[in-house]
Amino acid sequence: MGRYLAQRVGQALLVLAATFTLAFLLLQALPGDAVLIKFLELGLTPEQLADIRIAYGADAPLWQQYLHAMGAFLTGNFGYSIRAGVPVTQLLAENLPSTLLLSALAFAAASLLALVLALLATLGGQGWVRALVRSVPSLFIAIPVFWLGIMLIQVFSFQLGWISIISPEPWEELILPVATIAVPISAPLAQVLIRNIDAVLAEPFVTVARAKGASHAWVLRWHVARNALLPVLTMAGVLFGELLGGAVVTEAVFGLNGLGGLTQQAVANQDVAVLQAIVVISAAAFVAINLLVDLLYPVLDPRLARGRRTA
Amino acid sequence: MPLRRRETLAAVLASPAILRTLPAEAQPATPVRGGTLIYLEQQTYTQLYPPAGGFYPNGGVLNQITDKLTYQNPRTLEIEPWIAESWTTNADRTEYVFKLRPGVTFSDGTKCDAEAVAKNFDNFGLGNRDLRYPVSEVISNYQRSEVVDPLTVRFVFSRPAPGFLQGTSVIGSGLVSLKTLSTPFDQLGDATKIIGSGPYVVQRQTLGRELVLTARTDYAWGPKLHPHQGRALLDGIRFVVTGEDSVRIGALLAGQAHVIRQIQAYDEKQVKDRGFQLFAPSTRGVNNSVVFRPDNPLVAELAVRRALLHATNAQEIVDTLFSANYPKATSIIASTAQGYINLAEKLTFDPALSAKLFDDAGWTMGPGGVRQKDGKQLVLTAYESPPQPRNKDTLQLVAQQWAKVGVRLNVLAGDLGSRTLDSLDPARTPVAPAMVGRADPDVIRSQYHPLTRNVLLQAGGVATKVQNFADARLNALLDGIASEPDGEKRMALVADVQRYVIDQAYTIPIFEEPQVFAASPRLRGMGFEAVGRPSFYGAWLAAR
Repeated sequence: MGRYLAQRVGQALLVLAATFTLAFLLLQALPGDAVLIKFLELGLTPEQLADIRIAYGADAPLWQQYLHAMGAFLTGNFGYSIRAGVPVTQLLAENLPSTLLLSALAFAAASLLALVLALLATLGGQGWVRALVRSVPSLFIAIPVFWLGIMLIQVFSFQLGWISIISPEPWEELILPVATIAVPISAPLAQVLIRNIDAVLAEPFVTVARAKGASHAWVLRWHVARNALLPVLTMAGVLFGELLGGAVVTEAVFGLNGLGGLTQQAVANQDVAVLQAIVVISAAAFVAINLLVDLLYPVLDPRLARGRRTA
Repeated sequence: MPLRRRETLAAVLASPAILRTLPAEAQPATPVRGGTLIYLEQQTYTQLYPPAGGFYPNGGVLNQITDKLTYQNPRTLEIEPWIAESWTTNADRTEYVFKLRPGVTFSDGTKCDAEAVAKNFDNFGLGNRDLRYPVSEVISNYQRSEVVDPLTVRFVFSRPAPGFLQGTSVIGSGLVSLKTLSTPFDQLGDATKIIGSGPYVVQRQTLGRELVLTARTDYAWGPKLHPHQGRALLDGIRFVVTGEDSVRIGALLAGQAHVIRQIQAYDEKQVKDRGFQLFAPSTRGVNNSVVFRPDNPLVAELAVRRALLHATNAQEIVDTLFSANYPKATSIIASTAQGYINLAEKLTFDPALSAKLFDDAGWTMGPGGVRQKDGKQLVLTAYESPPQPRNKDTLQLVAQQWAKVGVRLNVLAGDLGSRTLDSLDPARTPVAPAMVGRADPDVIRSQYHPLTRNVLLQAGGVATKVQNFADARLNALLDGIASEPDGEKRMALVADVQRYVIDQAYTIPIFEEPQVFAASPRLRGMGFEAVGRPSFYGAWLAAR
């Protein structure tokens, strides 16, 4: 297990280094630059623009900038945001925690929603109810996040006045944003879960267990849940990216600060230092989540753990 | 020393835009102290070094936390005392002496005295290479300052600087403490580092999301003739960045906010119908226009530019896309701007004349209804400018109008990087949208001179791809505006440059751009500086 872990962590570091390099090269290749975008409007002369570029080290050869940025990253210095005029670490400190909280809550809400949908779709009473519930995920995934966010605000904040959007209490601030992201994220989770439960329920061992007199709940708990959850876990790792994408739109609509809004602003203004940091942080999160998922597999399916030990 | 002509004053006072924007101060009611105003901004501030205050989100913040040497009365455009109690200038406008009001302090407790004021203008006028401060675009020909005594400061210019007095009143000349002036330029996106002497002080910020200001209780140096005196009436202001148009309007109408900036013309009606206030102060500068880059051979010919000018129906654009708050342009500057002359008869919509000009110049109708000459098709490109109101729709309507006379205009969105880069290359963008606000004729120089905004892309500016286009006559007129000491002669130059730009058809003016705000019926005493940035110094919230 220790060797496996070391191997996986080594792979993860390699992925991060490659991401850093690729992001650096791609960002350098963008047309225009942040200095021009920000300062042209102020009516600066060519000499003044050149001075500012020199101050940011943007005139050094590419390989020097690369090594400098790499070294700075390793010591936790993410550079300076040209657009916002503050260090990137300050921007991250102000935006990262809220996005993590939003994502975690949205993911929890999406999982819960998916579970409820899956149970209703596979076990819920009448046949027509099950059929109806089965069409819900397709509807959820078709709803544009942007539209959903605005609709929720219109109804719950502006019409009913239940939730303040502009001056929310800490507890109410995230309710609508979480709902906005959870709906589309829950759809693929629910679809995979429904298909798996159907498949597992059709397996011979379930029929055997039933024949032995096992209750419905017991079959679900001990036979279906474990087997159906495995592919869902894989999905969850992949959905993280979508979560971040949903956060970009949601944060823009709700005017929340967060990584999403920060990314959008940084892309629009070619704030390269911020983008570089966001790309590396997102890659790190992706790698960490997928590592976690891989490590969880053996817990859910003992066959995988045995297989590794003999390999 | 008013630099205006009487006609201009009359035009200003008679302007419907001004009458509409009379602050609610005129309403008879007893002001109430207290409360926090909630202000929804469309975009976050990016840079709060005062000369960067031109960008409205920056200016909206700076106008509350900084004071200026002088106050330009937004109704009369007269320059009135503020931090300076009085001033004198020599005949050729190369020296200005200001006597300062005693007892003014910055919010860090340091004095706003002659030394601080001198240091501020040294930075604005000369820039600061070490700290990377650019030269302020509102100050021309600055040479040096002299501290005569603790409350007297003299400014000396290398050439006449007739626009300087007005320049001391603008958003870009807000006074900040020496501590702020020792902070590098690129760190001044952080509002907590901006220490002014204004009626409000930065309390806290969440970058990109919100900014909270509190009133300074010891503030006692508002503009001398301002109807409100003493500390601000509100306890504080909360700026919340709300990018989505529908959320801003919805929050205002639902009572969750008191004032919002940037209302689209099509939303104005619902705001008024619900009994909310609408303010549309003019930006009094260079009109919202379409400009040409004559370095591009397709628009190098005067006949082509004139033909396109007469093919453009500004009235249709205003009627279709905007409201009465967006008056049709009748010159390159707004009718409320200083030195404005009415050139409406040179700006007629006349498709027949347009077609004749094209034909005479040898541009004949080719396949697909696009004119051509020497095998070249008249196909032009422009990028939309998202900060300008409904700019994409405006350009697309222009494209439809031009299509009728045989010219294709491609309107591109593009990312900011490509847009910025391409807009500096006349080969890629022969046409561009443009506007800028400032209540002094120097604004025309700012907009057209190759060393500043350079909208026509003349050689010698930031745009390095320009081959050889330069108009020495235009630049001489522009330099004259910035350095002609005699008020009458300066206004004559302002009139000349308006005529010249239109005669050369460098610019097609479309409409006079306002800044549109909507506010709760509870908000009283909201003011605007001369070019439409909000001032909450005298503002208060009436009981529900």
